[in-house]
Amino acid sequence: MPAVNPEAEGTTYPAVEFVVEPARVAAFREVFGQSEGVPPTFLTAAEFAVFPQVLGDPALDLDFARVLHGGQSYELERPLREGETLTVRASIESVRLRAGTGFLVIAMQIDDQAGGPVARTRSTMIEQAPA
Amino acid sequence: MTRAFDSVSVGEELPELRRVVTREDVRAYADAGGDQNPLHQRDEVARAAGFDGVIAHGMFTMGHMAACVVAWVGEADSVTTIAAQFRAPVSMGQELVAGGRVRSLDEGARTATLDLWVTSERDGATEWPVKRGDSTVRLD
Repeated sequence: MPAVNPEAEGTTYPAVEFVVEPARVAAFREVFGQSEGVPPTFLTAAEFAVFPQVLGDPALDLDFARVLHGGQSYELERPLREGETLTVRASIESVRLRAGTGFLVIAMQIDDQAGGPVARTRSTMIEQAPA
Repeated sequence: MTRAFDSVSVGEELPELRRVVTREDVRAYADAGGDQNPLHQRDEVARAAGFDGVIAHGMFTMGHMAACVVAWVGEADSVTTIAAQFRAPVSMGQELVAGGRVRSLDEGARTATLDLWVTSERDGATEWPVKRGDSTVRLD
């Protein structure tokens, strides 16, 4: 059974644009009973503009059916603004294998159109060892 | 209104925020957040992965944890960092209880660092969908 490829560590992916669509922010707020602002974990929507490209990278050799979200962190330089366009750059920060279980850390740098930093994200994905 | 720095003390607890997780909420979350993994929408996929049925996204639990922080600090824009480690899967019908405590205060930056967690009772035992979470917030 294949496992995530440790040699993928350090891989970077082309920048992807992400628009902070007001309707989507409103839907996200509604799920969590929020009345105003952009919820900080809305950054997940920006990450998901890139995740399919990363998780589906054949060089990574990830078995998505065995992947669980192990952890997540966000650091915001400033709040997201509704309607703005952001640039999302993803990289594979680390890949570790322990007893058949893969630990993958995906980092993203999110900047605005002026090149100013907006946020950094870090996602830990766990590829469970085959049963 | 953002909570005032001078009104906060180390060790202070955030009011708990509770919600019962439903299939409709999780579907609405999938659309808004963009994670359409069928593990969170189709029971047969979740069972094949070893769960009893669909489970909530980790980010659903973290979004609830963030809502607890925003309710306490007063504004979404005041959150400068937030992090969580996911420890237990969350099934439909489970109640999430988000809580937290002020770990430290930085007078110069007028920020508070919070320890956060999300618990859930299942079959008489306490599970920890988030065992160790934290956040830094700007105070007024």
